[in-house]
Amino acid sequence: MIVSESDSDLVRRAQAEDIDAFCQLAERYARRIHLLASHYCRHAQDAEDLSQEVWLKAYQALPSFRFESSFYTWLRRITINAFLNHRRSSFFRRRGQTTAVQLVPIDSETPETFHSSSPENIFNKLLFENVVNALAELTPSQRLSFLLRHYEGMSYDEIANAMNCSTGTVKKGVSRAIGKLRARLSPESEEPETLEFSNAQL
Amino acid sequence: MHNCNDTRERFTEMVLDGDPRAEKLLDQCEECRAEFESLAATLRMTARLRETVTPTEAYWTGYHAQLRSKLEQFHAKAQRLRHAKAQREELKPGLGFVFASLRKPLRLCVKTFLLPVPVPLSVAVLAIVLLFFAVRAPQQPTPLPQAPVIVQVPVEVPVVQEKVVTKVIYRDRKPISKPSNRVVPENTFARSQETLSGFKPTDEIKLTVIKGGSPNEK
Repeated sequence: MIVSESDSDLVRRAQAEDIDAFCQLAERYARRIHLLASHYCRHAQDAEDLSQEVWLKAYQALPSFRFESSFYTWLRRITINAFLNHRRSSFFRRRGQTTAVQLVPIDSETPETFHSSSPENIFNKLLFENVVNALAELTPSQRLSFLLRHYEGMSYDEIANAMNCSTGTVKKGVSRAIGKLRARLSPESEEPETLEFSNAQL
Repeated sequence: MHNCNDTRERFTEMVLDGDPRAEKLLDQCEECRAEFESLAATLRMTARLRETVTPTEAYWTGYHAQLRSKLEQFHAKAQRLRHAKAQREELKPGLGFVFASLRKPLRLCVKTFLLPVPVPLSVAVLAIVLLFFAVRAPQQPTPLPQAPVIVQVPVEVPVVQEKVVTKVIYRDRKPISKPSNRVVPENTFARSQETLSGFKPTDEIKLTVIKGGSPNEK
């Protein structure tokens, strides 16, 4: 019988420079962080880089963790900061930079994110693209507010505290995000969106 | 009284938090209910992505391997930095000792020479010293300007040396014009005579007058 160590034990070991312990922590929470990153960034590679950056920052800051909150709460704070900083740095990096575009047929299987090319998965892929495109129309703060509220279940006050802004700003951001999503995903706008996606992919 | 605007403003919170009062509010207006259902469906759809859009296990294996590699690199770099810092710390006490050893005798010297002297006495001593120099200063003969001593020092001066450069220049040679020694052949006239034989001048003389040459001409 395998008894998994608690987060606190793993953190203590990681604080004593045990990389294996930190990797175990990463294995526990990497999916959650990656989910946020994949919705926050438009490109899969950017999402991967950003999520790995979060883990590196967490490892760097681990000696300062004082067990006053859960490890994940602390990690989420680092994630928010990394996302917001990424926004600032990417602004400068992307000016005048060309982007490599990989053309992928719409019905092709993407091994990184989808298990098979079944109709359901293709639909999910389209849906995911639509959601990400809708979120991309928001400001990074609004996008992050929505993700934290919707996927992480954080309260408005918690988000406002973490992002150093007012609760009203967070509420407005979340509301705008839901409005955008509804406009994109509602049955009335389904056809043009799908067509647009098809053109972009092909 | 039901107010559609107020209700719709609360939709986001009602959908996300699952407010139990939502049903009661929505029962009062069909339009608000339709709006709310649409919003809830959108969020359900996006929430479903959370479960479905997840990378495969193969992806995570590579992801964690890459992360481990980055962590090891970071760890190694941090250790190197710490080692370098420790070395600097070891050097620091040695240098500090050198500075301390220099500072101590300096302080002692200053302390040794600082003797407490009464102010009137010190003023009197200072006045005497100044008076001594004031009286003595005019008596000192002004030193005569000494004749400059000539010292011969060989100094190397760069001399511009002439350099003879031999250069071969090729010029285009013009053809030398020689005095012409052509001799007119004697039988030229005779030959022309031969060629004019049989020449007969025409009887009619054709003259063509060109008008307009001068204003008086008719």
